[in-house]
Amino acid sequence: MERIERLLEKPRAYNNVDGVGELSTGLMTLGFAFLQWMQVHTPGHSAWNSHYAMWIFLAVVGGAIHYGAKAIKERITYPRTGFVEYQKPAAGSQLMAAGMGAAVASAIALFVAVRSRMDLTTPLSFMGLVLAAFYAHGFARTVPWKWAVSGVLAVGSIAIAVLPLTLVGPLARGSSVSFPPKIVAVLWLNFMLFGTAVAISGGISFWLYLRRTRGLARDTQ
Amino acid sequence: MKEQIRHIAGLDRVIHEPGRLMVVALLFAVERADFLYLLNETGLNKGTLSSHLSRLEEEGYIQVEKTYRGKVPQTLLRLTDSGRKAFEQYRKKMKAAL
Repeated sequence: MERIERLLEKPRAYNNVDGVGELSTGLMTLGFAFLQWMQVHTPGHSAWNSHYAMWIFLAVVGGAIHYGAKAIKERITYPRTGFVEYQKPAAGSQLMAAGMGAAVASAIALFVAVRSRMDLTTPLSFMGLVLAAFYAHGFARTVPWKWAVSGVLAVGSIAIAVLPLTLVGPLARGSSVSFPPKIVAVLWLNFMLFGTAVAISGGISFWLYLRRTRGLARDTQ
Repeated sequence: MKEQIRHIAGLDRVIHEPGRLMVVALLFAVERADFLYLLNETGLNKGTLSSHLSRLEEEGYIQVEKTYRGKVPQTLLRLTDSGRKAFEQYRKKMKAAL
């Protein structure tokens, strides 16, 4: 019975068999870190701080990553180890409802906290742990060596959270956003750590996949 | 004990065969997949996998679609509604039997 349940998990793991899922996530996060850096270190009236610039930037980076990943899948992964089309989540499914509920609850909590001028420095400092948990659940469960990456992310995010303001403050110097410098710096450091670690892990996975599947027959259909 | 034996006796024999069970379980978790994917994941050889797929198709549990990806022929496989129901029943009975 356990073997059947393991088989049911296999297709989900196959989505990142080539490391492309991680590469995409890592590069998207690094893109987001770059955007945040530009927003913080350019004047408030610059193009980087306009509402549309963020959407244009995310659409361009997101589009490039999406179509790049698709091209790798179609030219490398599917001819080597096969094609899989995943089930689309049914509208109103429990997972989707739970996700939307969590997003709405978080947005309300953040809105209330900002309105009542609560100090969010400590909870936001540990945001890296949420990212580490996301990585562990999404990628590390299926490949043992990726638990090491999860460990690096967790330890790194704790280290970032406890860094003194004197050390991280310069990163947010001259910031044109209204958040405290500690939050700005910690968020940026967490995005950089997560993006870099996940992109490197994805790159290694991709390299290992290419080596493992080199010379696999194309005409096995 | 009697109850467990009754559940085991009631298992779908088409799905219970280990090779076919692997195929059905893999297809259950996706919308569709190609022959090459099943070949890699199950570790079966081409002939054995083909014969299992034919048996499942005969039973109406899978739908086979022959197509091309560029110039390369591709065989796409999808679990039918009756295949899905049969696998769900199989899992229930197995859980009850164990």
